[in-house]
Amino acid sequence: MAAKFDLNDDSVVVIIGSGAGGGTMAHELAQKGVKSVVLEAGKKLTLDDIDNDEWGMFLKISWLDKRHSAGGWHGAVNHPTLPAWIVKGLGGSTVHWAGVSIRYQEHEFKMKTKTGGVSGANILDWPITLDELKPWYDKAELKMGTTGDVTGMPHLPWSADFKVLAEGARRIGYSDITAGPMSINSEARDGRPACQQIGFCMQGCKIGAKWSTLYSELPRAEETGNCEIRTNCMVLRVEHDKSGKVTGVVYADKDGKQQRQKARVVCVAGNSIESPRLLLNSESSMFPDGLANSSGQVGRNYMTHMTGGVYATMPGPVHMNRGTAVAGIVRDEARYDDSRGFVGGYTLEKLALGIGFLSAFLVPGPTGWGRDVSEAMENYKYMSGVWICGEDLAQEQNRITLHDTEKDQYGLAVPVVHKTDHPNDTNMRNHAYAQMEKIYSTLGAKKIYNLPAYPASHNMGTNRMSAKPEDGVVNKWGQSHDIKNLFVSDGSQFTTSASPNPTLTIVALAIRQADYLATQLKKGAL
Amino acid sequence: MLYDLSLVKTHVRETVPISDFKLSRRGLLTSSAFLALATATAVGPTGAWAASGVSAEQRLTLIRMARDIYPHDDFLPEGPYVKVVDDVLKEAQSNDETRKLVLDGVTDLEARAQKIYGQNYVAVSDPNKREGLLRSIELGAFFQKFKGGLLFGLYNNKELWPKFGYDGSSWEDGGFVDNFDKIDWL
Repeated sequence: MAAKFDLNDDSVVVIIGSGAGGGTMAHELAQKGVKSVVLEAGKKLTLDDIDNDEWGMFLKISWLDKRHSAGGWHGAVNHPTLPAWIVKGLGGSTVHWAGVSIRYQEHEFKMKTKTGGVSGANILDWPITLDELKPWYDKAELKMGTTGDVTGMPHLPWSADFKVLAEGARRIGYSDITAGPMSINSEARDGRPACQQIGFCMQGCKIGAKWSTLYSELPRAEETGNCEIRTNCMVLRVEHDKSGKVTGVVYADKDGKQQRQKARVVCVAGNSIESPRLLLNSESSMFPDGLANSSGQVGRNYMTHMTGGVYATMPGPVHMNRGTAVAGIVRDEARYDDSRGFVGGYTLEKLALGIGFLSAFLVPGPTGWGRDVSEAMENYKYMSGVWICGEDLAQEQNRITLHDTEKDQYGLAVPVVHKTDHPNDTNMRNHAYAQMEKIYSTLGAKKIYNLPAYPASHNMGTNRMSAKPEDGVVNKWGQSHDIKNLFVSDGSQFTTSASPNPTLTIVALAIRQADYLATQLKKGAL
Repeated sequence: MLYDLSLVKTHVRETVPISDFKLSRRGLLTSSAFLALATATAVGPTGAWAASGVSAEQRLTLIRMARDIYPHDDFLPEGPYVKVVDDVLKEAQSNDETRKLVLDGVTDLEARAQKIYGQNYVAVSDPNKREGLLRSIELGAFFQKFKGGLLFGLYNNKELWPKFGYDGSSWEDGGFVDNFDKIDWL
């Protein structure tokens, strides 16, 4: 039975956002008897809303509020109002994610130490280690139903498209080739069915075989009677008292009316653009640079992963759209080996696009037309492709800022998202393009297309964790260095992007944070 | 997707000089065959576009341009292209901004064709020369209006998906669980 809390109830934890971070926090806290109100900016979604339609779902679930792309990446020209490809809706970006659930490698928590620092980058070690996170990764995998040893659930079977990548990879000497770990059920588990190879994973899984807070964590949080979820509620600012502790939030409800929800603790989990934007928009006379920003690092160190795509026309039919969007991963280049001309590593993730998206992203932007594009579309069923996902180094000038004059529909300053490649990114991307060319050439590919980055679905780092308050925004628990009852519960707390897709680590950190938060509440420390 | 073209000035993608465009491996419709084809489509009801202020000749230019933006030669019929063009012309009937965009754009394109080749756009027989003309206007709103319409009208068009070998929605049929792993040439 869903709870209903009074706006003046100052005993609740307010969680802003319902995705991997916020949705997990809500369920974990609810199980521990901690009462929470989840404020989700987007609308309620159900499985009935999900269609196998790329552009239809893009328009239905994407965060399309006004944003600006800036900086040196091609998207500043080709995707000027869509820097990021994430969800505005219940369940957040766990509706859209593809299910890849890889753990960080040990060195990926301490890249500053490992590299000795990289010129032009603002790298920092995490204040936690892989050892510390291991038990929480286990809990996350059990929660999400990640294929592999912890759940005992086998990886999904290989699709035709993944067989193509795997065979090419094998021929050039790669061996770390697996159809997982994925948080997509290969067997019926935890009340959710086994994958039926429908495809369209990133348009929302029509049958719920892919883990999403939309149909796992959120309804279960409500069932405990300890959680109330309010959709269409956009938080405008976080408020604080004279002592500097946060006291609640002001939000616009579904009718645009402003409401004030009091809170004992506030957890910010609006993804790495909205979370720092909210803290910056919450400036006050006491905190003129925004909340939790004594370090000046709120909004900085924005990381998206070094990404790109490679698609190729194969000698025979592939039908890449048949089966899960990401059906397997090649991880041979994920290792640390700076003799390749870059620090950090990358994975090659088989990624199917439908013809609607492939036509728009093969050559993105205003110059993407002509025979190159139309010829590729005629060969659609012969095409196979990958998404490259590699470590993106923190840089201070890659950041979220507030537009000087432009406001959105809520009257809030519009976010400007600055992103410029570090030379390390460029070297890594070129290395990946070259490796993919070898892989596809060995299979007799007729034509190979290199794609630049898509609008970012992996957004990280803008409220980063640090051991010292002057280096970052939150401590090892995701708790603000400046304000002890203010937490960051999403990927914006990442200190490094590493190479793995972020969702699993967001969930592991959220389970761990909920445990800490509940303990602190019990002690009366918050 | 909408593009803010004022930002395009910093665009750095290299465009290939007109003379360097390679001839297509695929047989191309000659411009006279195209004219016959397109004229045939114009024989149908004209009400959908006649009130847009665009002449029948200009409409043929727009259809030729549409086919040059995403060229599929004999792979696709003219119907889907004509529909995209006529949808824009239909909008132009009631939207002054669209009408001005289309009329100014098509006039400019014809002027460029006349200046460089001394011919109407549709009479320029080399598809690479026509592509070159379009590359010179590709960043403008006129061109992008048609490009955006075509991207959806050709590739987000369920009726054409079987032709491209794309299956579309699958959940109603239980997904691809029975054949997602089939491959016979690897």
